[in-house]
Amino acid sequence: MSSEQYLAANLRRAVAEDPRTAELGVRVTVRGDHVMLSGDVACAERRAALEEVLHETAPELTIYNDVRVTPAGEPEGEEDLR
Amino acid sequence: MIRVAAVGDIHLGEDMRGHLRPALEKVGEHADILLLAGDLTRHGTVVEAEVVADEFADLPVPVVAVLGNHDHQDDKPLEVTKTLQDKGIHVLEGTTFTHRVNGCSIGIAGVKGFGGGFAGKCGSAFGEREMKAFIQHTCDIAETLEQALSELDTDIKVALTHYAPVPDTLRGEPPEIYPFLGSYLLGEAIDSTGTHLAVHGHAHFGTEQGLTPGGVRVRNVAQPIIRSAYTVYVLEGSS
Repeated sequence: MSSEQYLAANLRRAVAEDPRTAELGVRVTVRGDHVMLSGDVACAERRAALEEVLHETAPELTIYNDVRVTPAGEPEGEEDLR
Repeated sequence: MIRVAAVGDIHLGEDMRGHLRPALEKVGEHADILLLAGDLTRHGTVVEAEVVADEFADLPVPVVAVLGNHDHQDDKPLEVTKTLQDKGIHVLEGTTFTHRVNGCSIGIAGVKGFGGGFAGKCGSAFGEREMKAFIQHTCDIAETLEQALSELDTDIKVALTHYAPVPDTLRGEPPEIYPFLGSYLLGEAIDSTGTHLAVHGHAHFGTEQGLTPGGVRVRNVAQPIIRSAYTVYVLEGSS
C-alpha cells in the first residue's frame, strides 16, 4: 500500500512543478488503479492540462478529474464588519 | 464607511487575459479600494505580469497588491513589481498606501509574508544554514510589516499579506503543511499595531474567516475560497 502513497506524492509534485500546470492547490489521491483530482483551477484549459500531465507521469491510472473551475463573476452582497 | 474589495490567488496567464475584466469594470459599484493578496501570476514571469497589469489597469478605484510565492517562481519579483506599477497598481512590500473616502481614511500595509508555522508548532532559526534562512526570512518580513502598520495614522488600518497570519483561515488544509502556509509572527505584528482587518490568500483549501489571538478579524480571500472575482468587506474606523 505504501507504493500508492509514493505514487500520489510523485503525482502531486508533478502537477505542482510541471510548468504546464503549476498547480499547488490540487489534491491527488491514488486508490488502486484510479487517481482522483480535486480542488479548483482558474479555467477549463488548466483543468484539462492536469489530466495531460498526470497521464504522462502514470499512463496506467484511470483519472477521475473532480477539479472545479473557480467562478470569476461579481460578488453577491458584502460582509459588514462595522 | 469604506468598502474594501479583495481577492488573491488569481494566477493569471496569457490564457486568462480578460477573464476577470467584466467583473472588475463594475468594481466601483461595489467598493472604494481593491486589494490583491498575491499569487497574481502562475510562474512569476514578466509576460504574465503584463496580463495582470492590463487586467487591473484604469479601474475606478485604487488597486493595492502584494506578491505571492508564484510571483517569485521566475526569480524576477522586481520586474514583476515594476510591470504592475507601470499600469498604476500600488505594489507593497514593507510599504503602505493610504486613501480617503467620504472623510474616512484607510491605510494598507503590505508584505508577501512567509511560512514557519504557528505558536507551539513552528520552526526556529537554528541548525542548518537553510533552516536559519527560512525562519529569518519570516522574521525579517514580520518586522517590516509591524513597522509599516505602526507608521499608519489612518481611521482604518488593514494588513495585506499573501501568507496567513493565523491558523484559523487554514482549516481544510492538512495540518502538516501549516508551516508552509503562514506564520504567527505576522499575526503578532498585526496584533501589536491597532490593525482593524488582516487580508491574505495562499490557502486554497482553507476557510474565509478567522481571528488573531488579539481579536483582529482575518479573511482568506484566495479566489477558490471566495468563488467570485473579488469579495467586499465594509469597514468603519474606530475613531
